[in-house]
Amino acid sequence: MYPAQVGYYKPESLGEALDFLEKHESKIIAGGQSLIPMLKLRILNPKYLVDIGDLKELSFIREGDVISIGATTRHSELVSKRLPGAEIIQETASKVGDVQVRNMGTVGGSVSNADPSADYPAMFSALEATMVIRSKAGTREVNALDFFKGPFNTALGQSDILEQVKVKPLRGYKQVYRKIVRRAGDFALVGLALVLKANAGVVEDVRIAFTGVSDKPYRAIKAEEALRGSKLDSSSISKASEIAVEGVNPPSDSRGSSMYRKEVMKRLLRNTLEEMKDAS
Amino acid sequence: MLAEPGQRVKIKVKVNGVEYEEEVEPRKLLVDFLRENLNLTGTKIGCDTTTCGACTVLVNGKSVKSCTMLAVQANNKEVVTIEGLSTDSRLSVVQQAFKDNFALQCGFCTAGMIVQAHYILKEKKPLSEEEVRDLIHGNICRCTGYQNIVNAIMDASRRMGA
Ligand SMILES: Cc1cc2nc3c(=O)[nH]c(=O)nc-3n(C[C@H](O)[C@H](O)[C@H](O)COP(=O)(O)OP(=O)(O)OC[C@H]3O[C@@H](n4cnc5c(N)ncnc54)[C@H](O)[C@@H]3O)c2cc1C
Ligand code: FES
Ligand code: FES
Repeated sequence: MYPAQVGYYKPESLGEALDFLEKHESKIIAGGQSLIPMLKLRILNPKYLVDIGDLKELSFIREGDVISIGATTRHSELVSKRLPGAEIIQETASKVGDVQVRNMGTVGGSVSNADPSADYPAMFSALEATMVIRSKAGTREVNALDFFKGPFNTALGQSDILEQVKVKPLRGYKQVYRKIVRRAGDFALVGLALVLKANAGVVEDVRIAFTGVSDKPYRAIKAEEALRGSKLDSSSISKASEIAVEGVNPPSDSRGSSMYRKEVMKRLLRNTLEEMKDAS
Repeated sequence: MLAEPGQRVKIKVKVNGVEYEEEVEPRKLLVDFLRENLNLTGTKIGCDTTTCGACTVLVNGKSVKSCTMLAVQANNKEVVTIEGLSTDSRLSVVQQAFKDNFALQCGFCTAGMIVQAHYILKEKKPLSEEEVRDLIHGNICRCTGYQNIVNAIMDASRRMGA
């Protein structure tokens, strides 16, 4: 199936892209790995595509006190980059789709698309990343937790462009991204992003975010609170895993029922925390 | 570059070393461009949903699924298809290894598999069988013949001196 008729605009700069977006009914295309399938199914039918995929301005990985990742950075570039204090980014990138999808798909595209089963949204929620949004009116920064609003719905407006994602390195934290899939290269049935800092076996800080269990990334705040300050042992781990599923109502679909997803959440969290305990 | 809906645009693409200038609608998929405009039918359409990898080609050296890329996105870029992998009518090392290891059954997935194999072997790094399996999981063989495909890629990797 081919997409319906569509116009095409390739800007030379971010400024040109923003001008065009404000004047015309259009949709950004970055890597196209989520958008083109939707155009082919004719779920979307914009008047113009604005191709920012090759905008050098938006393709960068900067390290320092803050790590900044430009929106058009390809997943494969992150797979080959270990970022000290944010090792979870590389691990997450390596689990998105397959090699070909990772060679085209971008960080900004994944985040802006906000698929409720995507990997980056949960990971960036656990890192409490900041999304930098550009529009004709200027630049604004939105915390990951406020950025994701629902399925395929974010704080981005019609004529906004996500410019970059900023993350504070969490040095000394153990960082893990795990996902359970039905077949290789699939979206997560349940995915878990976990970052944890322990001191002499006692949890100093922990952030737990799931994907695939809600209409947006789900932070298990109560489980985090239960763990913080307590000794990381089998009893605190099992308690936290039970608390993590309280109050969340995962969807039921062809990949698994709601109850099954809850069970997977519990086990994923418990097993991951057990491994962290043994490693510390 | 600006094209109104329905309007064609001129694109310049280097495919297998040859420069082409063609007019396409922006909605034209790269795979259809290769097959219909350039008559390079080695690249196959399997699933048309970005799942099977039969349409895999190299764009600026990186493997991509050409059913999920627009021809206009390849403007001013270099594309290599299965037809571009053999030189002077001689099979590439990977192609020969596929032949020698009986790594094809119906052959529909083969073009994409071989292009992907070229991509993952280009750095001539030693790869474990497990890594090879992970790196080709975007390519599906409906005949479920992965063992010989993996053997062929491991063999090609050795022949390339990895
Ligand atoms: C076979 C397959 C398997 C996949 N598996 C996974 C997986 O396991 N996990 C996972 O998380 N994802 C998966 N994906 C999705 C993949 O990660 C995509 O790369 C990503 O979701 C979209 O990135 P893109 O650059 O291709 O965006 P596009 O498809 O170009 O755009 C997606 C959406 O974001 C908007 N957009 C893009 N960039 C910006 C920007 N800078 N500012 C504002 N809006 C923007 C577009 O307008 C569009 O609405 C898979 C995709 C495929 C085809
Ligand atoms: S035809 Fe492109 S991935 Fe199957
Ligand atoms: S050989 Fe038949 S699909 Fe692969």
